[in-house]
Amino acid sequence: MFRVDPLANPEPLIRRVYSYVAYRVGDGPDAEDITSETFERALRYKKSYDSTKGEPAAWLIGIARRCIEGRPPSPELSSEHLEAADHRDLEDDALRRLALSAAVGRLEERDRDLIALRYGADLTARQIAELQGAKTNAIEVALHRALARLRAHIEGSDPEPVRKSQAGR
Amino acid sequence: MRSWRRNRETGLEAELRANRPEPSRELVHQLEARVRQDGRQARGSFRLAFVSAIAVGVLAALGSVGGLGYAATGAGQAVAKATRIVHVHGVTQVHKSAARDQYAPTPKRKCRKGTKRVKGKCKRIKKAKGVNFRRPPFTG
Repeated sequence: MFRVDPLANPEPLIRRVYSYVAYRVGDGPDAEDITSETFERALRYKKSYDSTKGEPAAWLIGIARRCIEGRPPSPELSSEHLEAADHRDLEDDALRRLALSAAVGRLEERDRDLIALRYGADLTARQIAELQGAKTNAIEVALHRALARLRAHIEGSDPEPVRKSQAGR
Repeated sequence: MRSWRRNRETGLEAELRANRPEPSRELVHQLEARVRQDGRQARGSFRLAFVSAIAVGVLAALGSVGGLGYAATGAGQAVAKATRIVHVHGVTQVHKSAARDQYAPTPKRKCRKGTKRVKGKCKRIKKAKGVNFRRPPFTG
């Protein structure tokens, strides 16, 4: 009889959606715009939320993904950003964050999405699998490989070769 | 930077979680306010609908067992009683009482036979011409 309000406690949801979006498109005004758009859409289609199908966070991330897909691709964060940051004598934490986001930005779209879903939106492998219509095991394996490629990017060496079958998934 | 590079093999996932991008405070406040405002509006309309539904349900239930007439009678009686209690009476004048008889003004005298009161005085009634009021003679 009574519907569950998916936006009853908005603050943690805002943070999770923003982190996901920022891992996908880069930290900044674009990510803020997409987060705002996501919440506007969520408010408009709040009645379509079905609590039996998943948590509000997963529902919101689904909306955010569609918002990102509807936008032109953002330029990847390159190592130049990091170099520039070095000259600005930023603090260690900020440098770490920049290096990490630059490395994530150099990943392939699918890997970046997985990393953003797992560590930005803080979704479980099972929730990601439900969102992408894949098996949980497949998502875990894909995440493991994405992390390996991210490590390679951070090291500065050649990333693990991406097989066409994986990239096409 | 170097220390982070040393730990990257073991703590990359932790680093990704710890260093995940955070929204600005303004954005959080702005979106939170927007969501709460929408929630308040929705709750207001829900309350109105709920109260209306309850009222209609109660009326339907009462109507089905003739309770509406009973309720109307009860309400009418209550109103009548309240009116009686609340109604303010004016000063009561007793028109017929011993005291009133005692202090009442003296009644005016009656006029004699064949007279009538005109402007406070008794005056003889004029006879119309040609009219004989005498008793006819006794004829046995």
